[in-house]
Amino acid sequence: MSARVTVTVRVNGRAYERVVESRRLLVDFLRHELQLHGTHVGCEQGVCGACTVLLDGEPVKSCLMLAPQAHGRSITTVEGLAGRSELHPVQQAFRDAHALQCGYCTPGFLLGAVALANRGVALEGVALREELAGNLCRCTGYQNIVEAIERYLRQAAGGRRDG
Amino acid sequence: MDKLPWLGASVKRKEDDRLLRGSGRFLDDVEETLALHLAIARCPYPHARIRRVDATRALECSGVEAVLTGEQVVARTEPITVLRPFPGSAPTVFHGMAHEVARYEGEPVVAVAAVDRYVAEDALELVDIDYEPLPHVVTVEDALRPGAPQLHATVPSNVVVESTVRAGEPDRRLADAAATVEGTFRINRVSGAPIETRGVIARWVEDTSTLELVSSTQTPHLLRAQLAHCLRMDETDVRVIAPDVGGAFGLKIGVYPEDIIAALVAIDTGRPVKWIEDRTEFFRGAAHAREAVHALTLGADGAGTLLVLRDRYLIDLGAYHGPLGPPLLTSIMLAGPYRLHDALIHRRVVLTNKVPMGAYRGYGQAESNYVREVLVDRLARRLGQDPADFRRKNLLRPDELPYKNVSGVTYDSGDYARALDLALSRVGYETFRARQKECRQQGRHVGVGMSCYVEFTGYPSSAFLGRTGARFGAYESVTLRMDRAGRAAISTGVSTFGQGTETTFAQVAASLLGLDPGDVAIHRGDSQGTPYSVGGFASRTMIAGAGAIEKAAGQIRDKMLRIAGHILDVDATALEATAGVVRRRDDPSVHVSIKRVSESAFLGHPLPPGEDPGLEATAYFDPPSSAFGYGTVVAQVEVDPRSGEFALQRYVLVHDCGTQVNPMIVEGQVQGAVAQGIAAALFEELVYDRDTGQLVNGTMVDYFMPTAADLPAFELDHLETPSPVTPFGIKGVGEGGTIAAAAAITNAVCDALAPFGVELDRLPVTAESIWRALARARAKR
Amino acid sequence: MKPAPLEYLAPSTAEEAVAALARFDGNARLLAGGQSLVPLLSMRLLRPTAVIDINGIPGLDRIAAGDGVIRVGALARYSALEASATIHERVPLLARAVPFVGDRQIRNRGTLGGALCHADPAGEMPLCAVTLGARMRIVGRTGRRELDAEAFFQGPYTTALEPTEMLEAVEFPDGASTEAVVVEHARRHGDFAVVSVAATGLPVPDGSWRWIRIGLGAVSDRARYARRASEGLAGTRLQPADVDAAAARCLEEAEPASDVRASAEYRRHLVPILVERALGELARRRQ
Repeated sequence: MSARVTVTVRVNGRAYERVVESRRLLVDFLRHELQLHGTHVGCEQGVCGACTVLLDGEPVKSCLMLAPQAHGRSITTVEGLAGRSELHPVQQAFRDAHALQCGYCTPGFLLGAVALANRGVALEGVALREELAGNLCRCTGYQNIVEAIERYLRQAAGGRRDG
Repeated sequence: MDKLPWLGASVKRKEDDRLLRGSGRFLDDVEETLALHLAIARCPYPHARIRRVDATRALECSGVEAVLTGEQVVARTEPITVLRPFPGSAPTVFHGMAHEVARYEGEPVVAVAAVDRYVAEDALELVDIDYEPLPHVVTVEDALRPGAPQLHATVPSNVVVESTVRAGEPDRRLADAAATVEGTFRINRVSGAPIETRGVIARWVEDTSTLELVSSTQTPHLLRAQLAHCLRMDETDVRVIAPDVGGAFGLKIGVYPEDIIAALVAIDTGRPVKWIEDRTEFFRGAAHAREAVHALTLGADGAGTLLVLRDRYLIDLGAYHGPLGPPLLTSIMLAGPYRLHDALIHRRVVLTNKVPMGAYRGYGQAESNYVREVLVDRLARRLGQDPADFRRKNLLRPDELPYKNVSGVTYDSGDYARALDLALSRVGYETFRARQKECRQQGRHVGVGMSCYVEFTGYPSSAFLGRTGARFGAYESVTLRMDRAGRAAISTGVSTFGQGTETTFAQVAASLLGLDPGDVAIHRGDSQGTPYSVGGFASRTMIAGAGAIEKAAGQIRDKMLRIAGHILDVDATALEATAGVVRRRDDPSVHVSIKRVSESAFLGHPLPPGEDPGLEATAYFDPPSSAFGYGTVVAQVEVDPRSGEFALQRYVLVHDCGTQVNPMIVEGQVQGAVAQGIAAALFEELVYDRDTGQLVNGTMVDYFMPTAADLPAFELDHLETPSPVTPFGIKGVGEGGTIAAAAAITNAVCDALAPFGVELDRLPVTAESIWRALARARAKR
Repeated sequence: MKPAPLEYLAPSTAEEAVAALARFDGNARLLAGGQSLVPLLSMRLLRPTAVIDINGIPGLDRIAAGDGVIRVGALARYSALEASATIHERVPLLARAVPFVGDRQIRNRGTLGGALCHADPAGEMPLCAVTLGARMRIVGRTGRRELDAEAFFQGPYTTALEPTEMLEAVEFPDGASTEAVVVEHARRHGDFAVVSVAATGLPVPDGSWRWIRIGLGAVSDRARYARRASEGLAGTRLQPADVDAAAARCLEEAEPASDVRASAEYRRHLVPILVERALGELARRRQ
């Protein structure tokens, strides 16, 4: 039997304490232990990025972390973005630009974009595409995703200047 | 006909809200209490006898509830049927699990069900399996060699089917041709590789003795039919539900071995059984695609008129017929958008010890477009003609359509040359040759390549499908129901995996019923409570679905007008349904709300005499014809002749898919398909080692799916020539973007390297393959 | 793919980490960024009895300049290297190499030490280490020791670390006023290099180079410092003849293998091309 450890972690602002198997992948912990299904599994090899979450505000691939590593940390998943009725501006931007089709890769892209906005970088074009290389999409061909994020980052940077 | 307000509207998608919030319900998001999780051991060899399977130690593990072996599966189930084999195909016997012999690396050999996937994988390691490797073949040439191992007793010489299509007098034309070009082309084995892998949850419902399956599938009804057959059950006792599906592209069609395995374990244990495919399994189990070898010859006369086409090709099927079968459109669309009367197409479908092949966006059309359009360029070059001029001369003109091609299908409508001209002008072709010359003087090699395609979308009637051996019809169906609030709900068996069907179906229904698309709900993907459906593939959903919606909505609208007429004391023929009301056409102030009309229907009063209460209709629509989209891709590249490195600088696609229900969704479909077309042209290949027979790169790390940083922005434009033979003039659009990428880019590279006499004949096109082609060209001189 | 059963420990000092390694007698693995380790665990290609998470050891990620060296803690993450002015100014080769590694998410977690210990023959960090002549500072049961980068890398995914040792820090020579370049050919953006070339040198005001060091990645069983090619460039002005000679010498050092990314022949073909490109870029940078 695998060893178990106690993990205390803050997810989307809420504190959780759980006892988990040491070998449990963080993505499985979020999905099945905490029932937060918005983070998806696409490869378990750290390539597709569907499992991307924000760890203390930075995008990381949750299939590349063991759940115990989240102890004492703060995680944001896609469920932490929207309000009860309103979509987060990045989600609105995706909707407006038709930047999702099946939606499976979408949460990873959304969180990556939010992290960029929080850093105040308004990337575009090739520079933005390179920043997004850790997230694969098979449905959209990326074009609308890039457009959505460009618009969102411009708005977010503009807002910061004004606000 | 009244104007259709929501056709052509880029309505934002209804499905987006839940998907953006992370509230989409994909297969693994469905949590069943007491579920068991499957881990499956798969044959690690390309071909092996299974001497012994001993699961005793696995069963003793804490947390393990059941084990299933091939012996049990073969005893209790029928082999997988094939939804659409080539007519005349020899059968292969493909059970849900291998017993005695496994024929591809990845074929399931034993399954363990445990309290979670971690424990199941632990237990799997305790199953003792003795394999005796057998001789294998992983290329079609090896499979056809005398003395090659015969993979199935039912398939002599590993040739599943061999057939010929002949039109006119191809031998005569070839002999007469002033110029002929030939080439042997190898098309890469690829995977559609959606970001969500396959998966299934099976549950035996004791009370009703029925089986319930939740599956990441494109085809709930077809999966249901095939699974019931395998399990020797009546379809009536099987229910299949498709949740949100994370991409499919053709490989989530029909029943797979794992569905059968999950079902049997569910029946045996009485517990829900969940199998989520991991990515290692995916590359060794989900349908592979496209691999083929073509020996193609084209002939033209001295003036540049295309005269004849001759092709001998081999499809590398893999070890079995998969649930759908191999791609069938290669030969059907090989002649493309050209005027051509003489052709000889010979094909063989060949078995190899690899994962069974299935459908992937295009279903043979990317393959045929590639080989033909590359040779069209060579033919033009041989005749000293500009490749655009050569094509223009031979493209069918609009007034020549409808046109029956050499394979017997009839193109409905289109302006092929206009798409070509538009694409060329977008890229600045008129001045390109001058720029190219300048660049060459500076030692830079830029090139432009083009590819013209016409695309088979939808199926031309169930009768046609039945005659050609398909086990499904061409129709779609919906049940359309109004409620007391004056809103509508569509029940459809179609499952959605990104194409926006929830939104586009709502747009069509809303247009016909005088509602807002927001007032039309779509219930989809559940075989229970939805009329028989075929499913989402073959770019058929909108055509057939719109037809079904049109019929059902027509019935409902007529009834609404009758009821409204009764309420308003106006003749129904003077009324129209629009913007939430039923009103007099000539005096809109005379109106009654649709809500009020619906209320009447449900109260049963007031209703015209003899009118039944209720406001719903079920309709089936069987398209009488396929519709043919078309387009041209023009690509511009720059190549470094020293290293072979190249940059895709521009990618222009002008396409025509007839009437567009939602232009925003159409554009998204095309962009996604283009990306997959470029991916298969430049990046991806499933590589098998000839000596070991094993898949060398079955991981996301080594299967090169392009990232956003690897693809350029695409330049898309469209024409809209409605089809004369489909509802609303709609043509399918989901697949077209994949068709012309490989040829256009290959032609661009060869154009850039024309001074070196480079010819490319395999995919993917990579820096290394260009370097090798340059070396070959040098050696020839 | 799920990891086999394992124990998890999170020591708070390097000494504790090393003691834990000893306790498990070589059957434990250090967990730093985890970007290479965790997939190996998931695929069960590695089945350690325990995983020792060193992410909580304070100071293990420190970047500090002094005594003519830039000392980088093994736990320094790629993202920290990217953001560090010290690295940009004084170990510019690292700054040039980091963008080639993986992607944003991987760079947020992956560490210099992890990459070096993983010793991928195509890895950019081993390439930088041998090109710069870095010193590896190692801590084990019996104390601390140092090793030159070239001695540290012993083969594909193989280093000189004992199973009970931990890489603590890496010392790079202070490269203020040097120039640096990395060029790569890869099948996709961020993918493992098919061939990589690192070049760094000290420009002299008279237009020559006091020294230039060239490293080759993905063309051998480990990253290679191209010694002969590099020594031949000392004092030169990187004229075409110098560059050609260097490129030819680099090709002699290359012993690439064929794999799914490229054949050995193509890799050999690319070596002189990328060397020329790297040296050309190096020359341009001094302007």
